[in-house]
Amino acid sequence: MFGIFMESLVIFKLYTGLKFLFLLTLFSWIFLLVKEKDSRVRILLVYAPIIIVILFLFPMSRKTFVAIGLDGETYYRILWTIPMGVIAVYGICRLFEKYKKIGLVVGAALIVLCGSFVYQSGYISKAENLYHIPNTVIKICDRIRPDNPDARVSAVMPPELIHFVRQYDASINMPYGREMLVERWGYYNAVYEAMEKTEVVDMENLLEATRADYCQYIVMHQSKQTDKDPAECGLTLVDEIDGYRIYEDPVTAQTVEGWQKYYEDGE
Amino acid sequence: MGTMMTVWKILGLILWLAAVPFCMGLIIMPCLKKKLRTPGTALVSGYILMFTMLELVGIPVVLLAVYNGFTIFIKCFTPVIILSALLGVWAVRRMAKNGYELNFSMTSAIWDTSLEEKIMWILFVGLVGFQLYMAFTRASFDGDDAYYGVHGVIAQQVDTLYRVNPYTGRSAPLDVRHALALFPIWEAYAGSMSGVHATIVSHSVVPLILIPITYILYFRIGKELFEKRKGLLPVFMILIALWQMFGYVSLFTTETFFLTRTWQGKSFAGNFVIPAVIWIFLSMFDPTKEGDGLGRIKYGEVRRASEVYGRPEEKSKNTGLWLMLACLNFAGGASSSLAILLSCLMTAGFGLLFAFREKSFAVLVKAVLTCVPGGIYVLLYVALTHGILVLPA
Repeated sequence: MFGIFMESLVIFKLYTGLKFLFLLTLFSWIFLLVKEKDSRVRILLVYAPIIIVILFLFPMSRKTFVAIGLDGETYYRILWTIPMGVIAVYGICRLFEKYKKIGLVVGAALIVLCGSFVYQSGYISKAENLYHIPNTVIKICDRIRPDNPDARVSAVMPPELIHFVRQYDASINMPYGREMLVERWGYYNAVYEAMEKTEVVDMENLLEATRADYCQYIVMHQSKQTDKDPAECGLTLVDEIDGYRIYEDPVTAQTVEGWQKYYEDGE
Repeated sequence: MGTMMTVWKILGLILWLAAVPFCMGLIIMPCLKKKLRTPGTALVSGYILMFTMLELVGIPVVLLAVYNGFTIFIKCFTPVIILSALLGVWAVRRMAKNGYELNFSMTSAIWDTSLEEKIMWILFVGLVGFQLYMAFTRASFDGDDAYYGVHGVIAQQVDTLYRVNPYTGRSAPLDVRHALALFPIWEAYAGSMSGVHATIVSHSVVPLILIPITYILYFRIGKELFEKRKGLLPVFMILIALWQMFGYVSLFTTETFFLTRTWQGKSFAGNFVIPAVIWIFLSMFDPTKEGDGLGRIKYGEVRRASEVYGRPEEKSKNTGLWLMLACLNFAGGASSSLAILLSCLMTAGFGLLFAFREKSFAVLVKAVLTCVPGGIYVLLYVALTHGILVLPA
């Protein structure tokens, strides 16, 4: 039980970052605890938050959360029910209610200095298009997309493009996706093993795996090292886009074409 | 030709993401106090109602339709929301005939103020405008898009709902853990009705409507908090907008989700569903007129206080808010199953605390009753995830 409590405490620390913005909320909360007269506000911004924190840290809460089938990794979202922003800002407004302009300046300065600017996140970049995915992905997908709208192609993609391919075109299948990039999920995929687990790709291994998975295309960055030239192994270089080489496997392409013809004849 | 198409697409998006939900929200106006009969409240209520319909119509389709699920969903959902929107317009016209009109106090709260406050409002609008500009022009990478976002693309391009592995594209059994949260399907729907790709809708369009809606909620919360100190409202809004921009203290805060993952259901849970529960409870009960410092107040005093803030017939107009809360406790499921659990727990907990405050057991009973739709959703979720309910393959 104590272990679960400590884990929840760590989650709480990670959530708030235990940074100054949290302290600002804490000071506002203490101020409201002492000064707030409106019982409606006291219930929502003073009593409820402390009850939620206590329940959050209570070991049985976490056990129940997981027992009903919810993902333990999302336990921190219980803390979303505490409106930290509203508590902090309302407290500042009440503290400076007779000196609005000073309150605004002080409040703004405290938030800016204590907080962390969201747009400085390493995950944010200038959008290249309305899809908000790299243009390179769009160009590659457009190049390998099947002409027949009912058909599918399967392509091995480099890890840096994997998240975006099917956000653009669901007719392009992949032998593996994002699930292989999250190590703690512990998935296994033969194509991924052959493509990404060795510094120099063993082409025979790769082709054995991709053919077993019916992948018509293999996309790899030009810097990717292979033990043999893919062209010598029977692959056809169909295009090179922004440093990514697109190889087609004629053997798999012929197999897949055979199925498609079979299904078309069947219809 | 290209420009005309773009204009039509933009108009389509405005229709399905703003006009239709707004008109749907009008349905609830006759059941609200005058101070709440505002255009902003109509839009918020409209989204609550729309997501309620989304879940009511969408869940049976997802569970039962193995093939062409998205086409069937469009055919069922479209008439339902159009009829609801028409009903909303009719309800407001009827309300106007009876002497009750929409309340534009939101705009007057901004324009009937001192120059100093006007400048503050302009500053606030500037901050929100900056956030919208960044949402449109900046791409925010999140791995979950490869899962949730792709479900929307699959709906549009493969016409299947939650029966394809989004990572690989292979056929898969129904993804029961996520199949009840139809937020990506709603985005695909808005896209299909306007001729726009689901990923463009989620990444470039949806933030332009969800960010302002969240601020409407904070505006409404601010109106309640500063009912007696109106001059502080613009200060509150500016600081809230800054808080959202500088709340990136970890990857897990609602503020981080708000501006980097706006289009995901989980962000909607943290930045719409949860603030909406707080707003509804704030709006439902009148502020304390005189307290003893600990918030305790005699029952009779609360009643007298309430008369200050509305006509006698307005006092009983909490029905709309209770109904909205019941819908919200179900609609939250569109974003995630956890959202329902959180909103229901908040409702029950707040209900208990306010029952003490009002010395009224009825408050607790009503709060529990509003959790019933959400409870049914949770039972369905548990039945599906534990294999109790078996579905067609």
